[in-house]
Amino acid sequence: MSDTLILAHRRDVFRFTARFLGYTLLAVLLAVWSGPIVLVLITSIKSNQDFLAGPFSIPSHPTFQPYIDVWNSLGFSGLLANSFLYATAGSALAVILALVPAFALSRMEVPGKTFIFGLILTGLMLPQQTVLIPLYDTLRTLHLLDTKIGLIIVHAAYGMPAQILILRGFMTSIPREIEKAAYVEGATDFRVFYKIILPLSLPGIVVGFTLNFIAIWKEFVFGLVLLNSEENFPVTVGMLKLNSDRYMAVFNLPAAGLVISQIPIIVLFILTYRKIASGNFAGAVKG
Amino acid sequence: MSTSHRSGESPGFFAFAREHTFVTIFGIVMPLAVFAVFVGYPILFTIYLSLFEWNGMTPDKTFVGLENYRHMIGDSHFQIALINNFKWLAVTLAFPVLAGLLIAYALRNKILPAPALVRTIIFFPVTMSLISVGLMFLLILNPLFGAFDTILRSVGLGFLVTEWFGNYKVAIYTLAIVSGWAFTGMPMIFYYAGLGDVPKETFDAARIEGAGHWRMLTKVAVPQLRPVTAVVVMLTLFESLRAFDLVAVMTKGAPFGYTNVLGYIVYLESFWNTRFGYGAAISVAILAVSALMALIILKKLMKGAFDV
Repeated sequence: MSDTLILAHRRDVFRFTARFLGYTLLAVLLAVWSGPIVLVLITSIKSNQDFLAGPFSIPSHPTFQPYIDVWNSLGFSGLLANSFLYATAGSALAVILALVPAFALSRMEVPGKTFIFGLILTGLMLPQQTVLIPLYDTLRTLHLLDTKIGLIIVHAAYGMPAQILILRGFMTSIPREIEKAAYVEGATDFRVFYKIILPLSLPGIVVGFTLNFIAIWKEFVFGLVLLNSEENFPVTVGMLKLNSDRYMAVFNLPAAGLVISQIPIIVLFILTYRKIASGNFAGAVKG
Repeated sequence: MSTSHRSGESPGFFAFAREHTFVTIFGIVMPLAVFAVFVGYPILFTIYLSLFEWNGMTPDKTFVGLENYRHMIGDSHFQIALINNFKWLAVTLAFPVLAGLLIAYALRNKILPAPALVRTIIFFPVTMSLISVGLMFLLILNPLFGAFDTILRSVGLGFLVTEWFGNYKVAIYTLAIVSGWAFTGMPMIFYYAGLGDVPKETFDAARIEGAGHWRMLTKVAVPQLRPVTAVVVMLTLFESLRAFDLVAVMTKGAPFGYTNVLGYIVYLESFWNTRFGYGAAISVAILAVSALMALIILKKLMKGAFDV
């Protein structure tokens, strides 16, 4: 009797310790990963006087003035519109380019499959900076340097390999019985692709498009090198200006600026988080 | 070694192409063409250009042989940048990859309360541009108004405070840790998915034998996660070779080039100093380093990770 009591007691102590450790760990993770974001959010609604009260001061007069100021002086409407165009058009093109290759690599005995797959991985892993010079040169020859269409093409081309991998992962999981029946009835590859595989791959297309959208939204190097005019800049390149004495004098402006730059992604994140964070794309790489 | 005999692919390919024209054109030829234009040609052109001196504007290039490479080996900026890339890689392997693994393990084994919240807040920075991340930590780590130094001082660690971006010994680690902060969600998600694939019985068996979390992690989880680790290490390698955005927004290589990384030097030499030939030579060095490291990873870790 007393033995079981002691055991039960020890189990309670153990459980309590485990739970305490769990909460401590949670507190540390929250502090490290959301602390900086929370601080920036608070800073972004501070007036200049509130800012001088220190990084942890609670804003006494919360204001959206920093947002208005940084929006106007940095020209955020143009920057956001550009980034939106690059991310939408670039991702759409990348997905379209990737659909049939993913179909071929997932469901057909393509000769030289391993070789093609190796090339795709090379394209995926290629460090961007190593192709800057030739890209710059090629785009200049084609009179596409410092144009929106030029940057869209570049984004689409470098987005394609990842899209092939992601879509291939999805298409591999589609049961083969359906298309076998279609082939028996004499359907062409195109019909099978268009009528069966494409509709069933829609969730994969959504995930692939979203990931590509975020990747282009984050992208900086291509925009920096392949564009010169401010009216073509995406958000990332335009924001570089925020690290200057003019904006860094009081932190509420850069803080507001970087909140603005993230808002479209937050919206997308909320809409598609479950699909992306479920690790589906991790599975796509493993195949 | 006759062509028709060698692979069995050439005749097979044409037979395939006749039977599957649509797939051949849009599924094989088209992506290969994109690859040729955007990967193959740029690599070859970069190697070619690395043997020349070129200002990038005029059409005439001067052939200089291996002079660019000779210059590169003696260039202290190049040496610092190369070492910085390796420091960056080391930090990225030590901090975000390890943290990602531990957090994923804690999530899967219900050690952490509020798992959905943890996953969200740690994955969120992955969606931020490194420009935004860089700006954010410029504010947090600012020597005058920054929150971080204030925290250190208030918990009695004020002696650690330094110029996070001004101290030439520290600055590159500051950048690498900031990049790690933004990257941790990636390995976490990969490991989280990987741990989900490990059969539950494997863990249960270990638990029945009385294994604690440490033994479960090192003896069960890590070996089972080998293919995932291969992918994660690969991603980490290329993430650290890409280290560019943070340098561009946070330090621009300062102080005195001590935070330069290879990618940033390519940009500086090519587009600021208009020494495109030299920039191309450094690009070739990046390619060589990344190809070499990728090969090592493939050989050591990759068994089965990218099975077609």
